[in-house]
Amino acid sequence: MILPATDTLPCTAGIGLRATHYREVLESLPRLGWVEVHNENFFGGGAPLNTLLKVREHYPVSLHGVGMGLASSAPLDSAHLSALQRLCAVVQPAAVSEHLCWNTASGMVINDLLPFPYTHQALSHVANRVDQVQEKLGRQLLVENLSSYLSFAHSEMTEGEFLAELTSRSGCGILFDVENLYVNVRNLGVDAMAFIKAMPAEAVKEYHLAGYSIREGCLVDTHDHPVYPEVWQLYEQVLSHLGARPTLIEWDADIPELTVLMGEAAKAQQRMEHIHGYAE
Amino acid sequence: MATLNDELADFARAIVLRTALSPQINLSYPNYSAEVAIEVYRNNYRGNLHDTLAGAYPVVEQLVGNDFFRLLTHKYIEQQLSANANLHHYGAEMASFIATFEPARELIYLSDVAALEWACHCAYFAEDADSIDLARLAQIPPEQYENLHLYLHPACQLIPSKYPIADIWHAHQPGADSEFHIDLHKGSCNALVSRKENVVCVSELPVAAAEWLLSIQAGIALGAATDAVLESHPDFDLQSLLIKLLHLGMLVDGDRGE
Repeated sequence: MILPATDTLPCTAGIGLRATHYREVLESLPRLGWVEVHNENFFGGGAPLNTLLKVREHYPVSLHGVGMGLASSAPLDSAHLSALQRLCAVVQPAAVSEHLCWNTASGMVINDLLPFPYTHQALSHVANRVDQVQEKLGRQLLVENLSSYLSFAHSEMTEGEFLAELTSRSGCGILFDVENLYVNVRNLGVDAMAFIKAMPAEAVKEYHLAGYSIREGCLVDTHDHPVYPEVWQLYEQVLSHLGARPTLIEWDADIPELTVLMGEAAKAQQRMEHIHGYAE
Repeated sequence: MATLNDELADFARAIVLRTALSPQINLSYPNYSAEVAIEVYRNNYRGNLHDTLAGAYPVVEQLVGNDFFRLLTHKYIEQQLSANANLHHYGAEMASFIATFEPARELIYLSDVAALEWACHCAYFAEDADSIDLARLAQIPPEQYENLHLYLHPACQLIPSKYPIADIWHAHQPGADSEFHIDLHKGSCNALVSRKENVVCVSELPVAAAEWLLSIQAGIALGAATDAVLESHPDFDLQSLLIKLLHLGMLVDGDRGE
C-alpha cells in the first residue's frame, strides 16, 4: 500500500481517535486535520491495525505512547520498543510522542503516567533513554509534560527546565499539553508563565488540550470533559508566546459524538488563526 | 540508578500495596492533602485495570451483574499485579481465577465463558494471515492429501466446555434478543473462535470436528488426523468441515514467513 507521505503534522487542529469513532470516521471521512492514536492499542496487529491503516490512507496520524515509561528505573522494555518500531514502519506516522513519566519499578507495572523527582540524576537517565528510543526509531521523539497530583521535595529544577534541558541533550521535541500545565498550576502551584518561558519554542512541535475532573480539590487529568475556559485562556497565552502548532483535542472517557470533538477542534483552529494566523 | 530506583519503588508500593508515602514526597498542596492525591493514583491504578477487565470480559460482567463483577475484579487485581505496560495483556488468568473464586462456585459455566472471552480478545489482536479459498484447495492433487499439512489462522482457537458457552456468548452480544432460553445441561460444546474481516466470530464444532482441528493445529498431516477421527467417529464429515473453515477464513497459506 502506498500511503500519502508526511513526516510532520499539519499546523491545524486534530482529534484523538478512539475505537468508538473508527467506523464513523471511515464511513463519513470528515474534515479533520489529523488524528492521534495510542500506540499500545495497535501493538498486537490484527483487526485494530487494519483499521488504523485504513484511517492512515485518509489522514496524517500521530502515534502517542502511554506505556514506554521514559523515566522508569528498570531498563527500557525492548519488546515494547520493538513493537513501536514495527508500528512506525507500517503506519509511517507524522509524529511519535511519549510522556515524561515512569510506569515500572521493582517489578510492579502501574498502567498510569507517574511523576518523578526532577533531579540531574533523573535528567541523565531520561536523556539516555530518549536517545535509545530515537536511535531505534530513527526519528525524533516528542516528549509530553505531565499532569501531576504529587511532587517530590528534592527536585532540583522545575518540570519546564527539565524538559528544556532534555531537548538540548537528546534533540527530542516537546509535546506541550496545555491542560496538564493548568492541572499542575492548580494542584502543585506551578508558575504557568515561567513554564511557558522555559519552553524552547523551536522544540515545541504539538499542543494537547483536554478536560479534567476534580476530586476533593485535586484536578485529575481524566480527558472526559470539554476544554474548560481557563484552559482555553492558557492556550491563547501559549499561542501568543510560542506560536501556532498542531493542536490535539484529547477525549478518552465518556467519549461524546464525533461532532462534539470536531467542534472542540474547530475552537482550537479558530484560536490558532485568530491569535497567530497560520504560522510556520 | 539506586536513588531514583528506590524513590520510584517506594512510590509504586504506596500505590499498589497501599504503603505509606515516603518522606521524599511533598506533604502539603494548595487545595488538598497528600493523602487525597495518593488515593487518586491508587484509584487510577485499580480503575484502569478494572476497565481493562470489563473491556475483555463483557459477557462475564453481564452474567454476574456490575456489583459482583466489581468484587471479582477487585479480588483479581489484588492477586494479579499488572506485568506489562500494554494493558491488552492484562486479564489472561481470569478463567483460572474464576475457577477458584469461592463466591462464583455455583456459576459452574462462568470460568469457561471467561476462557471463551479471552480467546475472542486474543483473536481480535491476532496477526493477519492470508486465507485460502476453495479454488486454491481444489488445486491440490488428491495424491498429496495423505501428507498434506493444513495451516490454521492465528486467530483460530477451540474452547471446549461441558456447558453451552457458545449459546451463552451469543445471547449476550450487543443487539441479541433479550428473550432467550439456555439449557445448561444440553451437553458439551466446542466453541470455535475465528476472525474474518476484522470481526471476531464464535461458532460451534461437533466433537469429531473438534478432535480433527486439534490434531491439525498440533501439526499432524491431513491423512493421519482424518484417519484417527474416523476410527472413533465413522460419520465424521471432513468435506463439510473444510467448507466451514474456508468460509470462516480459518485455513491459511502455509508458506507465510517461510
